[in-house]
Amino acid sequence: MTAPELRVFGIRHHGPGTSRALLAALAGFEPDCVLVEGPPDADDLIHWLAHPALVMPVALLVYRPDELKRAVYYPFARFSPEYQALRFALERGVTAGFMDLPQRHTLALDYTAAMPPPGVFQEVAAAAGHDGYEAWWDAVVEQGKGHAGLFPAVLELTAGMRQATEETAAGETPEARLARQREAAMRARIRRAARAGHTRIAAVCGAWHSPALVDAHRTPGEADDVLLAELPSVAVAATWIPWTYGRLARSGGYGAGIHSPGWYDHLWASGEAGLSPAEMSAGWLAAAAALLREEGMDTSPGHVIETVRLAEALAAMRGRPFPGLPEMEDAALSAMCGGDGEPMALIRRRLIVGERMGMVPPDVPAVPLQRDLSAEQARLRLRPEPEASALKLDLRKEMHLERSRLLNRLTLLDIPWGTTVKARGLQTGTYTEVWQLQWTPGLSLRVIEAAAWGNTVRDAAAACATDAAAGRAELPELTEMIDQIIMADLPEVLPAILARIEELSTMKRDVPHMLAALPPLADVVRYGSLRQTADHLPLLRRVFDRLLTRACLGLPGAATAIDEGAAADLTERLSAAATAVRLFQAEEATGRWQQALGRLADRDGIHPNVAGRATRLLLDEAALRPDGALARLERALTPGGSVDVARYAADWLDGFLRDSGLLLLHDRALWGAIDGWLTALDPERFQAILPLLRRTFAAYPEGVRQQLQDRLREAGGRGATAAIQMPTFDPRRAAGVLPALGRILGLPAAAEVTT
Amino acid sequence: MITTIQRELAEQAYRRELEALARADRRQRPPNWRLSPWAVATYVLGGTLDDGTVITPKYIGSSRLIEIAIATLTTDRALLLIGVPGTGKTWLAEHLAAGISGDSTLLVQGTAGTSEEVIRYGWNYASLIARGPSAEALVPSPVMTAMRGGQIARIEELTRIPSDVQDALITILSEKLMPVPELGEAVQALKGFNVIATANDRDRGINDLSSALKRRFNTVVLPLPATAEEEVAIVTRRVADLSKTLELPAELPAAEEIRRVVTVFRELRGGLTEDGRAKIKSPSGTLSTGEAISVVNSGLALAAHFGDGRLAAEDLAAGLTGAVIKDPVQDTTIWQEYLETVMREREGWDALYRACRELA
Repeated sequence: MTAPELRVFGIRHHGPGTSRALLAALAGFEPDCVLVEGPPDADDLIHWLAHPALVMPVALLVYRPDELKRAVYYPFARFSPEYQALRFALERGVTAGFMDLPQRHTLALDYTAAMPPPGVFQEVAAAAGHDGYEAWWDAVVEQGKGHAGLFPAVLELTAGMRQATEETAAGETPEARLARQREAAMRARIRRAARAGHTRIAAVCGAWHSPALVDAHRTPGEADDVLLAELPSVAVAATWIPWTYGRLARSGGYGAGIHSPGWYDHLWASGEAGLSPAEMSAGWLAAAAALLREEGMDTSPGHVIETVRLAEALAAMRGRPFPGLPEMEDAALSAMCGGDGEPMALIRRRLIVGERMGMVPPDVPAVPLQRDLSAEQARLRLRPEPEASALKLDLRKEMHLERSRLLNRLTLLDIPWGTTVKARGLQTGTYTEVWQLQWTPGLSLRVIEAAAWGNTVRDAAAACATDAAAGRAELPELTEMIDQIIMADLPEVLPAILARIEELSTMKRDVPHMLAALPPLADVVRYGSLRQTADHLPLLRRVFDRLLTRACLGLPGAATAIDEGAAADLTERLSAAATAVRLFQAEEATGRWQQALGRLADRDGIHPNVAGRATRLLLDEAALRPDGALARLERALTPGGSVDVARYAADWLDGFLRDSGLLLLHDRALWGAIDGWLTALDPERFQAILPLLRRTFAAYPEGVRQQLQDRLREAGGRGATAAIQMPTFDPRRAAGVLPALGRILGLPAAAEVTT
Repeated sequence: MITTIQRELAEQAYRRELEALARADRRQRPPNWRLSPWAVATYVLGGTLDDGTVITPKYIGSSRLIEIAIATLTTDRALLLIGVPGTGKTWLAEHLAAGISGDSTLLVQGTAGTSEEVIRYGWNYASLIARGPSAEALVPSPVMTAMRGGQIARIEELTRIPSDVQDALITILSEKLMPVPELGEAVQALKGFNVIATANDRDRGINDLSSALKRRFNTVVLPLPATAEEEVAIVTRRVADLSKTLELPAELPAAEEIRRVVTVFRELRGGLTEDGRAKIKSPSGTLSTGEAISVVNSGLALAAHFGDGRLAAEDLAAGLTGAVIKDPVQDTTIWQEYLETVMREREGWDALYRACRELA
């Protein structure tokens, strides 16, 4: 038997340039076994990477079925060297495997392996005249041509770096020991491959580990076996889940996330297409220009040309062979975006980070979220059925309440298994909920997609809602969300929603929406006696207080120069907000609120409907003495004047009296004032405002109207009835138009005769 | 005869540094540049040369911005420096011109009354009437001079210049050509010619650049001081200088007072409280460091002449209110909101809060 040959390829996770160099090196080496840094617990899952229905980026998820929160994600993009190495092995039909310390050990521990000290990387970068190691590596490796000498050079460099740090290390922490155990496991795996008869072994690992592996096949394994003995072990499961570039940019199982997946994707695609660095830059900037044009900014090819020139001038000035991402960003900002950060943020989100989302075949092993969902479904006795069915829940029963929560959480996760229906004949505000349930096959895919949010329905829903809250752009959407998360019992999402409410209320001066946000918040403050909600109470109170303060400051402005519809809307919201302020029970807030109402009641130019309601609310809260309210009423109902004055009075009265006929019944002084005003109106003005008055009074319930009528009769309503007189007109002259009218209405000619 | 110049030009004040840089500079210089781009960057950002010459930093801030600015001047496009007043636009433009061309005097000051002659060329009318149009009668503008010499021309406050006059720059910047139809000839720019313009995007009464002209510029936005410490230090130093010049008989303010003013300015300007926990709406005014200095100064003057000589909250409140409320409708609400949602809750700010509230 010939001695096996081992090649160690030190890579950077997610490096497109490394990937290209690695593929070239693998093709030259022709290995019969490819080992990749990753969890051997998932060896059985590697073959899925060649499945035609799998779309990158995806992540390998390894978790403990007994404790779903303990999980590790290994994301891969199409430009990741690990993925390319595994694909290489799958396509050639040679053995492919993971070689890291199995997660069945790592997940049994409550600490993670030590990371290499950052200082040494910084030194290397500084020596090469770069701001950071990442930037240096990007410029030298990822954007380079991918020459064959890369891996020996990386090996030499990291060997030197490791030596420099090992000299300073003293004493061993469990974390440092775990780091050594990981490398021991990799060596052990390489030896196993050699024993199995593989003669050309390729090991792909993070550059840092490469010096520790180069001699693995030549050294005896006893020391490593000692190091690896007696590691605790737990049961783990693994599967593939879809991933996104956004998540890749945030974090990952392989140390820190990368900043620019979209840019790397472009580098990879350009490399695949055999483009030169110059074509690569031009292509990327042209994509940026197209993006800006899509958003309505005029960005011409001339802009692109100038941007490319500036990027090249910058690269020359900074001593780089060709522009890298920092040069591209600087040039695009200055030459394409006119120094404006906003279009630049768009470029960053869409092109530098990117929005690509992966997909996994539907038959990969079930994700933990699916397992948790199945367990919940069994516990709550809710079977997923393909036929639609109705489910009526009585929220006073614990089991029903929990079912409602599960369905609400799934809705938050965009897995719409159930939709609430407004049952006919059911009054709102009862303890009853009616759901329409139907499990469609598409929902199973949604579960897989949602798996990235968390491993239990509860955690995933909370994480997803927290993320969604940050993206909401309107206050009403957020207030709606408060209701949703209360129904889903996810109080941990509250801070995110509150923070966003706070942010939006500062940015937008939308008083009606601010007012509308108050009642749900007050409900949570007042009734949210749930234990978990209590933790967020101070924050909740602060946001309520600020929101109220802002609304109060903006109220007079929001009630000036508005049309009838807006005024009616504002009036409604004022009442709801008043209830909220009462519930909130804070002296200072109440004082502030009443001051604002006072301004609404008294200031010139406020819409009469709003002014009337403000006066009414002040009266209700005893912030205004009845005679004060009466004085304002009389002022508003100034007799005489033009039709506009009468209309003002009617609008004011509508705001003041709408939905509260009982007040009118019981307050004699009020009655008298209104009666006096009404009877003093001359017929022409009375007719002009009659529809408006009807609007106010017609909304009263039947009983109240009846009582009002009775009161009118007993209080000498004769005057009122007497005022209604039949108008006098000349029947002969009126008859003259009837034939024409009859023809217009298409009546038979005989009708004319009857006149 | 001894003359005392009130202020030296950049190329005069830093002659030694420029000479040392030119000696040490081994890198490639663009045509007609006195220094290489790298040396210009060192001149602006500071550093120590191999021969031990210390180059003082002229601009403290992001080196990336300076690199973009210098790289732009090596390309076809002109450089537009944008920022609120007091961010060092003019200062930077002057030093870039001094570093690149050794001459920072080719300057056009933009105003609402700037005419095309100031940008293109004018005539010596006596000579014009006596001898008709001739090269001798022509009075070149600084821009024309810069074109002939392959130098950097500066245009201050570009956006204050009326739009039609601004557009006279388009041919100059795209064709690098200035026709003189009266003489039947045209001035062609030598290599090395370029324009640095400064503009201020916050002020009222500005004329936005036409998109045709905008396309001839690369834009660099100069930010306000990055940290509160930096800004407090700037304000403290300038206040001390000014009160010495004005001979104000008042005690210099405590660091605490200055910090409060700077905090208010930074928060309103940035739209975010310093702890990053609450967003705030920004008022319409610029609220630059320069304004903060003048708030503290006028407070000092109030204290000196009408108070007990010690800077009190009331003395600051008037200046603060005036600085923030530039638009009586919008800004008043913003300022009140700031008072009620941010200042009110802050410990130790009672006096200032009450004083400001009284005025608001």
